[in-house]
Amino acid sequence: MFPIYKKELQSFFYTPFAYAIAALFMMLFTYTFATAIGDMDSSNTLKFCYTEVFYNIIIYLIFLIPIMTMRTFTDERKFGTEVLLMTSPVSELKIVLAKFFANITVYIFMLAGTAIFPVITAFNGEVVISQLICAYIGIFCWGTMYIALGMLISSFTENSIIAAIIGEIVMFAVLFLDDFSNTPFISQYPKVQSVLFSFAAQPRFSYFSQGFVRLSDLVFFGSAIIVFLAWTFISIEKRRWKRG
Amino acid sequence: MITIENLTKYYGNNRAVNDISFTINDNEILGFLGPNGAGKSTTMNMIAGFLPMSGGKVTICGTDVTAEPVKAKKNIGYLPEIPPVYPDMKVKEYISFCAGLKRLTGSEKKSEMQRVMKLLKIEDVQNKLIRNLSKGYKQRVGFAQALLGNPKFLILDEPTVGLDPNQVIEVRNIIKDLKKEHSVIFSSHILSEVSAVCDRVVIINKGEIRAIDTIENLEKPLKNSLTLHIKVAGSKAAAAAIIGVTEGVKEISEVIDEGNNITSFTVQLSGEEEKVRDVLISECLKNNISILEIYSDKPDLEKVFVELINRPVQKASLQELLEAVVPEDKSQEADDTDEKEEN
Repeated sequence: MFPIYKKELQSFFYTPFAYAIAALFMMLFTYTFATAIGDMDSSNTLKFCYTEVFYNIIIYLIFLIPIMTMRTFTDERKFGTEVLLMTSPVSELKIVLAKFFANITVYIFMLAGTAIFPVITAFNGEVVISQLICAYIGIFCWGTMYIALGMLISSFTENSIIAAIIGEIVMFAVLFLDDFSNTPFISQYPKVQSVLFSFAAQPRFSYFSQGFVRLSDLVFFGSAIIVFLAWTFISIEKRRWKRG
Repeated sequence: MITIENLTKYYGNNRAVNDISFTINDNEILGFLGPNGAGKSTTMNMIAGFLPMSGGKVTICGTDVTAEPVKAKKNIGYLPEIPPVYPDMKVKEYISFCAGLKRLTGSEKKSEMQRVMKLLKIEDVQNKLIRNLSKGYKQRVGFAQALLGNPKFLILDEPTVGLDPNQVIEVRNIIKDLKKEHSVIFSSHILSEVSAVCDRVVIINKGEIRAIDTIENLEKPLKNSLTLHIKVAGSKAAAAAIIGVTEGVKEISEVIDEGNNITSFTVQLSGEEEKVRDVLISECLKNNISILEIYSDKPDLEKVFVELINRPVQKASLQELLEAVVPEDKSQEADDTDEKEEN
């Protein structure tokens, strides 16, 4: 499993990819941070909090994560290297996990850059560490769920651009599922609404950004990740059966 | 030893491989021959554990590929039709990655990497990006990957495609050397290659086995029906009479009058070629007929191949087809219900 993880990391870090995507993420984060500071009311410094910044940047992940995950399986198919992995003495589950962990490592690399802002803030004011940690846990869970989802979509197709576009659409739907469930059309069916709402990830993320770490939210994100990864595994198996 | 039993593969309703069974002995090179689309690559992919089989069983050194894939794959080195290389990796990185996949570590990994790179002569390109390599080099890098870890069983799907004639000879020699320690299954549609390298040959077409035997045995039936071509100058009738009565001549299949008193005969032989030729030459000389040309069609694998591939598959009888469609148990049940109804 480790050689695949290492190879994936090489494909991110030996090329400009990881640095470019981290730079783009930093740029968007900086913009959000600067806007939040700019909007701050000088009479009430407490109005500014990092959690809001994090809450705002999850929309950017809709565009960044699919770019990161789109090549996960599509490139293996394109170059015919899928055969190499599948005929080596490594189980398919380990292949999926190795790729998942490699994507997570790049994501952590992206997030790590943002730590500079709390440090700068700490020089000029006070940072509520506990709330900040909660926000980081939240954004990490959210991104990890998106990575699992992106990998799943990458396993469906042979075209990385298609994988990215479909990924963006699906992630957009995941993000706004709660808003959709609150539309008048859905709210006239309370049962449907409650089912949809229970699948909505955004309200759960908002708890993290408010400084709560609830077990139910962690279980929700954990379950979503497991479901997406298991589905990825099944999708790869299914493709092998259907190949021809 | 590798055993392939009743291997079958369906793509939807299309049967790509039909009930194939054969074994590959230790230290044997088995050639896998067939025209394009015969099911060679599908079969190899199934043996390597890449494609799931619709039916049948593949056992590699006592391990079932389907039941214990990871254990079975430890004994396999596989070079697919398209070398499975990452264009963005350097040759050395790629070989190192593949060694890792095969769970080689430390000094063993280093020595194995050196060994295969030396064997395939890719040491001089080890720091080049694979995308910049020629097709022949890519093929050799893919081959090197298959040899890593010294697996007992090698599956090589057209390993010489894209190589120049020198490289082809080198690779053939490598394959021959591999026989000392490995079992090899080796597909190709280049017949001379198969006859030069392989101990036994499996010929398949449309997913069905047409023949499994040594090359000598496959060529034997053709040796008994040799064709002799004779070009003579002199009396056509006299020459025909001599040829006709010579012992060992089955029939004169073709006579072509080429003008200037020159005639070409195509003769089917039933006896030994050398004897017939000697008798014919001496008889013709005695009768003042000069022989301008005499040669026989050498039997070769190509003929065997063409004959086996083009031979129509014997259709099963209606009864056999019915039995295949209606399993015995069900037909018995049906009989039972019929009997009940009658009662």
